[in-house]
Amino acid sequence: MNKLNRYGYIFVAPFWIIFLVFSIYPVVLTFYYSFTNYSGSGTAEVVGLANYKRLITDTYFVEAFFNTWKIWGINFALQITIALILAAVFSDMRVKMKGLAFFRSIFYLPNLITVSSVALLFGILLDWQHGSLNMVLIKIGLISEPINWLNEPTTAQLSVSLILTWMWFGHSFIVVMAGVSGISRDYYEAALIDGASRVQTFFHITLPLLKPILLYIMITSLIGGLQLFDLPMLLTDGIGSPEGSLNTMVLYLYNQAFKYSNYGYASAVAYGLFVITIIFSAIVFKSMYRNERKQARQV
Amino acid sequence: MSLVLVIGVIAGCSNKETSGESKNGKKVDLKIWSFTDELKEPIKKFEEKNGVKVELTIVPIADYPTKLKPVLESGVGAPDVFTGEIAFLKQWVDAGYWENLSEKPYNVDELSDNYVPYVFDLGKDQDGNVRALSWQTTPGGLYYKRSIAKEVLGTDDPDTVGEMLSSMDKVFEVAEKMKEKGYRMFPDEGSIRWFSQGDNPKPWVNENNEIQLTEQKIAFLDTAKKLRENNYTALAPEWSPSWFEAMDKPIKVKEGGKETETQVFSYVLPTWGLHSVLKTNVEESEGDWAVTNGPSPYFWGGTWLGVYNKSKNKELAYDFVKMMTQDDEFLTDWAKETGDVLSYLPVTNEIKDDFSDEFLGGQNNYQFFLEQAKSIEPGIVTKYDQQLDTFYGNAVQEYVDGKKSKEEAIKEFYKKVQNAYPDLKVPNK
Repeated sequence: MNKLNRYGYIFVAPFWIIFLVFSIYPVVLTFYYSFTNYSGSGTAEVVGLANYKRLITDTYFVEAFFNTWKIWGINFALQITIALILAAVFSDMRVKMKGLAFFRSIFYLPNLITVSSVALLFGILLDWQHGSLNMVLIKIGLISEPINWLNEPTTAQLSVSLILTWMWFGHSFIVVMAGVSGISRDYYEAALIDGASRVQTFFHITLPLLKPILLYIMITSLIGGLQLFDLPMLLTDGIGSPEGSLNTMVLYLYNQAFKYSNYGYASAVAYGLFVITIIFSAIVFKSMYRNERKQARQV
Repeated sequence: MSLVLVIGVIAGCSNKETSGESKNGKKVDLKIWSFTDELKEPIKKFEEKNGVKVELTIVPIADYPTKLKPVLESGVGAPDVFTGEIAFLKQWVDAGYWENLSEKPYNVDELSDNYVPYVFDLGKDQDGNVRALSWQTTPGGLYYKRSIAKEVLGTDDPDTVGEMLSSMDKVFEVAEKMKEKGYRMFPDEGSIRWFSQGDNPKPWVNENNEIQLTEQKIAFLDTAKKLRENNYTALAPEWSPSWFEAMDKPIKVKEGGKETETQVFSYVLPTWGLHSVLKTNVEESEGDWAVTNGPSPYFWGGTWLGVYNKSKNKELAYDFVKMMTQDDEFLTDWAKETGDVLSYLPVTNEIKDDFSDEFLGGQNNYQFFLEQAKSIEPGIVTKYDQQLDTFYGNAVQEYVDGKKSKEEAIKEFYKKVQNAYPDLKVPNK
């Protein structure tokens, strides 16, 4: 018996060693650095809570916080709406759409392109003077002056949101479809017989029963969204232009650490981001489950 | 930032690669790290000459400092020789990662007369010891199209055109003439940023850690805005697809509700702009180019290299540095093959007189650039330059776009500086 136990430890050891060295150690070290003025080389001097004090009053961090939320929020609302509409269409018992597998792959494709290629592609499409988007809009007479998409804060943020939506709606769609196929057909047949309209079926059967899936999508998307970095980094100059509107929290962290060599402060930013992620995940989780309990009582 | 971008573009195709041989377990005698594939050919020659095996690791410039730093700090898997780009050169020579080449057995100070002065001086640390050398010099020029110059200015002779562009006021006069004939002086407003120092070049940060925003730099805000307001540019931002396109072809500019087709007269680029930007993007107008001076001399970029101070193979490592920076035969071939403008005077003196470039209509660009290099002031380089240039470039852009007033733009600039570098002192305004 004893011998068997020892083998167990040996088998789990590789995981623990890698986990300790590559995950726990950096996390702990970052926590230590957040109390120092470490500049990437030389020695780190402990400065107490100075970095955290600065973080709370840092207007650029606050700006980054709101930018991240704006960009993620618009993207998520659009993405989930598109995914739900598509799911409703594909699961409709009366329409019986064909080619689900085909469309599923098509919708998912943008997600397979590396973000740097996506940024390059949209950089060209959204180009002020020579971009296809402006050319098309001028041709059909929607605008007379070309819009400098990536040079105005509002349009730049909107562009990032829309690109993210394009990249991720296929992913959400697949997950939602998985959820939909888990709903018993009986409900829909009953609804059909009772004469429920499509809209009623969707809002009273599909949506409530999808709640756990939606919760999952929302939390994973939130955690990913709060870490938004690559697109804003690559689309403009990498420090959040125009007018700091693409300055997201992780981009700010990256610049503080690797561009300005303020590793100590960047570590504090990382922990600030960590706390924010925990708080909002908890809020989302709580609110979704409270609703569920309330409904359970109603039933 | 722009420089990082272009090098990124150039290095993009090569990406990060480690030569395969080492993986097969063969012994590697020398490890070299760099951020472009530029050293590939020299390394081949070095291997043949010395019968050794060299491993080159290329890391794209965006990741280069971040990847190299930990390796140098710990010494594990570190290169014996590594290159440094001007953007982080100052930081690195002072950090002491490179071997002190002023000491025995290197004694490079004895060779100081052999180099373009500013290039040699930039490789020195705060105590005046040489840490890195460079084979090239990268003074800037203004490349223009001969055919347009002939039509509008009546001449395409580089010296005469240079005389017409020798002050900012004169540049605007030429720009106005260009506009009258339907051409645009520059691709974008950023083009003239290298002349923003005017006649008063000062480092961004002085010895008391104070930011120095000179009157000339502030005046540059208006100069840039004037370019935009008078429609002297083709609205093609540097490194954007349209910027590249305008080099070779007429481009369409949309402004004031109408579309006009125009051609760009000139590009402000340094030595390497010729072989890594213009030549690679131009086909039709080959031979129709020439290079001359702008209102003030400047330099842009440059690669230095040195020996890692914890290297176990310093002798061989220095041999490579020596070949790259002091070998007459190698450097002569290098200059002829690549068109790179060298900083090693014994070789440049030999080749400068009968150098000519077909792309530039047979002009001797070598002599021109060496002349420009003499008026470069090395003391104005600081480790903050890259970021501060980006911040100030943003301020200028926002002012030109009409988003901010001059005062607001400068205030925002100071705020960004203070945020990125809390140790620097900015004026309390």
